[in-house]
Amino acid sequence: MESGVFHTTYASDMALRRTPLMRLRLIVVVVFLLVFPFVANGYQLTLANQIGIYAIGAIGLNILTGFTGQISLGQGAFMAVGAYSSGLLAARMGMPWWLTIPVACTVTAAVGAVFGIPSLRLKGLYLAIATLAAQQIIQWLITNWRGLTGGVEALVVPTPELFGLRMSTNFRFYWVVLFFATLTTIFAVNLFRTKIGRAFIAIRDQDIAAEVMGVDIFRYKLLAFATSSFFVGLSGALVAQWRGIVNYERFTIETSIFFLAVIIIGGLGSVAGSIYGAIFMTLLPAILTNLGGAVGGSIPGLAGILPFIQQGVFGLTIVLFLIFEPEGIAKIWKNVKDYFRLWPFSY
Amino acid sequence: MLARRWLSMVLVLGSVLLLIGCGGAEPEASEETIKIGAVYDLTGATADVGTPYADGIRDYVRWLNGQGGVGGRQIELFGADYAYTVDQAEQLYSQYVSQEGVVAFQGWGTGDTEALRGRVAEDEIPYMSASYSAGMQSPDDAPYNFLVGTTYSDQFRIAIDYAIENSASGSPTIALLHHDSPFGQSPLEDGRAYAESHGAEVIGISMPGGATDYTAELTQVQGAGAEFIVIQNVSSPAATLVKDVDRLGMDSQVICLNWCTDELFVSLAGGAAEGVIGASPFAFPSSGVAGLEEIREYAESQNKNLDELGVHYVQGWTTMAVMTEAISRVLDAGDEVTGPNIRAQLEQMSGFETGGITSPLTFTSDDHAGNKALVLYQVQDGLWVPLTDYVSAE
Repeated sequence: MESGVFHTTYASDMALRRTPLMRLRLIVVVVFLLVFPFVANGYQLTLANQIGIYAIGAIGLNILTGFTGQISLGQGAFMAVGAYSSGLLAARMGMPWWLTIPVACTVTAAVGAVFGIPSLRLKGLYLAIATLAAQQIIQWLITNWRGLTGGVEALVVPTPELFGLRMSTNFRFYWVVLFFATLTTIFAVNLFRTKIGRAFIAIRDQDIAAEVMGVDIFRYKLLAFATSSFFVGLSGALVAQWRGIVNYERFTIETSIFFLAVIIIGGLGSVAGSIYGAIFMTLLPAILTNLGGAVGGSIPGLAGILPFIQQGVFGLTIVLFLIFEPEGIAKIWKNVKDYFRLWPFSY
Repeated sequence: MLARRWLSMVLVLGSVLLLIGCGGAEPEASEETIKIGAVYDLTGATADVGTPYADGIRDYVRWLNGQGGVGGRQIELFGADYAYTVDQAEQLYSQYVSQEGVVAFQGWGTGDTEALRGRVAEDEIPYMSASYSAGMQSPDDAPYNFLVGTTYSDQFRIAIDYAIENSASGSPTIALLHHDSPFGQSPLEDGRAYAESHGAEVIGISMPGGATDYTAELTQVQGAGAEFIVIQNVSSPAATLVKDVDRLGMDSQVICLNWCTDELFVSLAGGAAEGVIGASPFAFPSSGVAGLEEIREYAESQNKNLDELGVHYVQGWTTMAVMTEAISRVLDAGDEVTGPNIRAQLEQMSGFETGGITSPLTFTSDDHAGNKALVLYQVQDGLWVPLTDYVSAE
């Protein structure tokens, strides 16, 4: 009987999937992801695509906020940069959609790095305000730089096509999202096994100590902003290509706060947590709405106040989650696994 | 102890998963019903006006079903609150279209209408909403969007006509104070071009969201010597603005476009609302036009008072009535109730009378803005009183 997980070689200690159970779970997840689109209907695919796009954005934000400790309220604006870059390149310059996505990511990374410069002098709440300024400046530029963005009018993105197939349907776009989400996840998980990733974590834990140890704070903070923005831009570009319409109203400060909520609930400094958070924050409102629809008809007088109850329950669930497990869903999941792995002989 | 905690946690997780599985399965609809989807704003940024509008839509369907439905078939309305967020609107839309098979859709705001514009065209779902942006008017851009209210651009043109007629100089400067959004800026360019060709001048000033004081913006208005202030914003900021106009002792005439021409504006602005002119494509309950009678009757049968429900209730009711009218014409023609057929019937709708609630509606295959005229009202003793008959831009 196992009483814990013990590694006898460095290789097994450093492996991403350290136990047979972990590898089994990975297989189950992969099979599920591959089978899901064939059994799901349009609604479930819409939810899945939203979750995938949110997960990419949340991983991006988590690299910056969860792993490097730099709080950002500019997420919405960086998504907008990605979405507009991808949309404008496709609409105005006729660039193929799959090419606009990496270009949009790169543009967003550059913009993110520029707005990351204040982080060299500012920390914590002060940095939050500086990134809030980034949100406002970018939003203002989008709505007022009409020659480029078309101002407040929605930007219509040409339908993405691959080998003559229209990719923006829920089913086909699922594979696009899955492809990019997988790449993002693999990149992010491995990033924190490299020198750069560990430098990020060192900056988060104690920036002065990190500098003393030889981490070039200037370089790595900007790198963190650029890396993070790269993925945030990716999620924005995917929104643009999937929806075919880009409007700045989708990328306001509320979006920034939504993503902060996703990573806090999912688990700060956890790649898996970003994904759990995206799933949770997408499905909870959907479940509450469906539950409301099912219950609403049966109890008279309830229908009128139901939307408010839903909002209340949504908030309450988040608060309870945070009280009982401040480290997020990722930690809850870890606890569950730890408990059952050693069951019935935990402790 | 700990074991029990984790067990309960696992149970919670399990039941959540179960719920996801069950989410789509419930409503048991007969083949005979006609399904329409809707999103409402009951809790979001525009819930104050979104709630009566949603009530209007839902009550119309209840009333119609009570009358026997359309061509003997009941309407089944699938709707939920989307809290004015685009993502939730998209979720609900795709749920209703792909799971429930709705054939037409009632939206609400500019954000969801814009975001779904391409999707409704692909899915061939006729879409009506309370966003009257002229950008939705052309079937080339938005083949399945239909506007039941007068477009914001036309509303502004009518306001400009009024300003020119009632200006001392005959060539007034008109300030458009607008919400800082697509909704707010929508009429600006069209209005500016229209004013220039009529010898007037338009300046656009955006109203920052959440402001509690508009002295700075009004100083700009004074500086430009504007005789008229047109407001393209919702009631609460508009009320704050007219209070500031009053406080600063300005003598500019204020004209509200339709989203601040409502009962809420008067109750929020109080005395400062006196004399304000409002452009409303939909008749106020107090106007007593013939079309309101059945609405009033239904409201009374539900122990509600139409005067309290207000103009946005009438707006929601009428928008739904136009949609079901098209469905009824599809049935009369002996066709199947599908999105393309509803669209075809809407595009043939010419001079449709709503009993005076709106001007007669005409949609064509190259113009989906069916409503070209509106009534100018004025606040007198705390009530919106009609100032004109139906007027349209030249």
